[in-house]
Amino acid sequence: MSDQKITIEFNDKVVRQFLLASVIWGAVGMVVGALVAAQLNYWQINFNLPWLTFGRLRPLHTNAVIFAFVGNMMFAGIYYSTQRLVKARLASDFLSQLHFWGWQLIIVAAAITLPLGFSRGKEYAELIWPINIAVTLIWVVFAVNFFWTLAKRHEPSLYVAIWFYIATIITVAMLYIVNHLSIPTSLLHSYPVFGGVQDALVQWWYGHNAVAFFLTTPILGIMYYFLPKAAERPVYSYRLSVIHFWSLVFVYIWAGPHHLLNSALPDWLQNLGMTFSLMLWAPSWGGMLNGLLTLRGAWDKLRTDPVLKFFAAAVTFYGMCTFEGPLLSIKSVNALGHYTDWIIGHVHGGTLGWNGFMAAGMIYWLLPRLWSRPLHSVSLANLHFWLGTFGILLYVGAMWTSGITQGVMLNTTTEGGTLLAYPNFLDTLNTIRPMMLMRVIGGSLYLVGWFLLIYNLWKTIATARPVNGTIEVFVDEGVIAQEDKITLVGTFLNPPVAFSILGVGFSCVWMFGGDFLSIAGMFCLLLCVVLAYAHFESRGKKWATWYDRLLVNSAPFTILVVIAVAVGGLVQIIPTVLVNRAANIEDRRQLPYTPLELAGRDIFVSEGCYNCHSQMIRTLVPDVLRYGDYSRLGESIYDHPFQWGSKRTGPDLARVGSKYPNIWHLRHMENPRAISVGSNMPNYPWLFTTPTDIAALPRKITVQRQIGVPYPEWTDAQITADFDLQAKAIVEDLKTAGGVIAPDKQIVALIAYLQKLGKYETVAPQSSAAR
Amino acid sequence: MTPIPSPEDETLRHHSFDGIQEFDKRLPNWWLITLYGAIIFWVGYWAYFQWFHVGLDGPQEVTREMTKIEAARLAAAPTTDNASLWKMSRNPVFFEAGRTTFNTLCASCHTEKLTGAIGPNLVDQLWIHGGTPTEIYATLEKGVLAKGMPAWVPMIGAKKSAEAVAYILSFHKEGEAIEVQAAWIPQAPK
Repeated sequence: MSDQKITIEFNDKVVRQFLLASVIWGAVGMVVGALVAAQLNYWQINFNLPWLTFGRLRPLHTNAVIFAFVGNMMFAGIYYSTQRLVKARLASDFLSQLHFWGWQLIIVAAAITLPLGFSRGKEYAELIWPINIAVTLIWVVFAVNFFWTLAKRHEPSLYVAIWFYIATIITVAMLYIVNHLSIPTSLLHSYPVFGGVQDALVQWWYGHNAVAFFLTTPILGIMYYFLPKAAERPVYSYRLSVIHFWSLVFVYIWAGPHHLLNSALPDWLQNLGMTFSLMLWAPSWGGMLNGLLTLRGAWDKLRTDPVLKFFAAAVTFYGMCTFEGPLLSIKSVNALGHYTDWIIGHVHGGTLGWNGFMAAGMIYWLLPRLWSRPLHSVSLANLHFWLGTFGILLYVGAMWTSGITQGVMLNTTTEGGTLLAYPNFLDTLNTIRPMMLMRVIGGSLYLVGWFLLIYNLWKTIATARPVNGTIEVFVDEGVIAQEDKITLVGTFLNPPVAFSILGVGFSCVWMFGGDFLSIAGMFCLLLCVVLAYAHFESRGKKWATWYDRLLVNSAPFTILVVIAVAVGGLVQIIPTVLVNRAANIEDRRQLPYTPLELAGRDIFVSEGCYNCHSQMIRTLVPDVLRYGDYSRLGESIYDHPFQWGSKRTGPDLARVGSKYPNIWHLRHMENPRAISVGSNMPNYPWLFTTPTDIAALPRKITVQRQIGVPYPEWTDAQITADFDLQAKAIVEDLKTAGGVIAPDKQIVALIAYLQKLGKYETVAPQSSAAR
Repeated sequence: MTPIPSPEDETLRHHSFDGIQEFDKRLPNWWLITLYGAIIFWVGYWAYFQWFHVGLDGPQEVTREMTKIEAARLAAAPTTDNASLWKMSRNPVFFEAGRTTFNTLCASCHTEKLTGAIGPNLVDQLWIHGGTPTEIYATLEKGVLAKGMPAWVPMIGAKKSAEAVAYILSFHKEGEAIEVQAAWIPQAPK
């Protein structure tokens, strides 16, 4: 070994940039959050302005806190810790800067387009296609920069934090690309290639794992670096790290369908979603244990050190949310909690408690190390901690109360179970008003805490000099010995991987095999478990030695991560895409939208109506009593994007078509309170003045045809004629009822769409077989 | 209290990453039980619903429940033909129950005297949607949504609706003239 030493200066400039960006976007995201929460209480602060309505601002809030706040925080944490853990400077200064500025540009583009109503209509995936491409490219820049740094490392072995970063980069890329597959109709608009149930499955495979691999795994990696650093204690258990990492990344992917329980999603997927969510409980708590138990022997420091206070509370909130998640994934609990504020409370426990507090702890710890000056005020940081904690408890407590109260009210029946106890949805909404106000107060306290952080940060760094960390390494440190290298074959031909692959394979044969194969699969699975156990008991050392070797081989490690995270998605999505198509539908099939209705649907999506209104009557008695017959899989098969929704601030709309006359909708959209006393829905005056974009329809219909909606080969003139005919009929009907509106206005198209909801044709089984 | 581990702890791994060391403590039993328990639950749950098909799926379950509810509704539903409703309107058990329902739900628009305010007068002989007992009941069944009259039967059930109709009919006589009224001009309730 050469004893020549070199000094490496870390690229901490980009860490500082990401850290500051995170702090600023965090404030923006939280301010918008407080605003939208207040809008739910006071409809007046929608200001009758399109770009300030709840439906458009709520996506801005979620995208800002996920991608701008946590995203920038994650990049800061990953870049800071990775350089030190692998003893190398970030591979490319250019790529680092491109990553930073590219990401900020994406955020600015999102902040402009979302309030303007440019939306794909899928939660946390609202950004329009040109921005999707930019996100993908910048993510690739991040990945190249990261893996290139790994390639130049002077530390052969990969620490657990790095495992989580690898899983994050790989999986987010996979999820993001698949869920954003779309065909553009214009520069600003596209339709997703998946429709109906397929789109629902892909969306929640993505949505759930955005939580998993954007809000959880990178933050766990950050925890594994910053928490032991701050506590100055060794990590509690390496073997717990190994077990919980692999089980977490493997199991998480399968759990997406728990967002679609009791819906029209095929039963086998719902059962997978529920059982895998329950199996996720222990792996998640493995992370919590390793965090909390690392603090053993350092608990006394919590009294004085705000950093450790934030970390300890964050990990506790993580544990709370990852217990609540499996609980909510139990079908019967979900029947009560889904579509209510309980879910909102659940995610905010995670984002405010886990993400926000990990961010705060990390920032307070980093400030003195990135700028040569101690933190301006420790007591202000402590005050931030207590304000934040109190704010979260108020927020989450209010949402639990609100969600359970409304859920119980919506599900309560009288007269021997034949009638709803609260048939008027608004009765349930107005019962929880005080809790909705409490949430604004809780959230605002948290926001005040964040402003304290900004002030503290400013006072610390305003006149301080930025410093970059350095390290001395031997030039040939980190060269991997030839006998430690793992080949592609060696990646798979070893006991832990071989037994795992066989086990997963036999499980799938058991689950999906049919009569004989199922029995054989179960038999082989049991045999495999017994053999693996016997082998581990007798040759456990071999497993451990092999894993130590794997940790110096970043490429084989990454390959195994790719496989672990890909399985769940492949098993769930491929059959759904192949089988659940319009041509195979039995029972009921949706009628394709007319041009006017399609235009109205795009307005529905653009205004973000799905943020408050679901279109999915679940297979639950209270849902059927309230909204009508349960939704069939075929009834939304042509919906690109699907609009099943995830929250009911207002009632479900799956069968609202023909329920009310046209004039009802006209009056209601003009001023909801004129019809529904006590409603908190915004007014939509601009729909009465803005013309519908008729010129875009031919191209839209062409794209719809490409993605499988059976539109005939209409000429542009035919589309316009059809549009005019239907619009004039609605306008005539409105006129007889006393409503005057021109046929080209958006409101007419929207009414046409709403009146179409729930219309279907009955498909006889033999005709579907003939197709 | 857990004793503070010493650096000589035998479970401490030798490698250190940027000063971070790792113990190699064995996994807590309760944690392992949670993990294995959830896996066993998955096997059992899948076998129950997907392998042996003992458990009903969502559509089967809701269809079974709704059939029961329909049966209970049919069993409890009163006859709502003209003759029966007229009979009910002369029976205090029915029209007194109807008065309670009417005063709670209907009086806010039609007033307790039934003389109309936001909604039309129900004691005169002018009817917009028909004045025979079955027509009045049909109005409760479908509502007049455009004018703000909800469909009451699905909400309060057939029995209470029939009682409310009986109460309205108690202000009328069988065979009296029924005139068609074009529209009601809403007035503020007095």
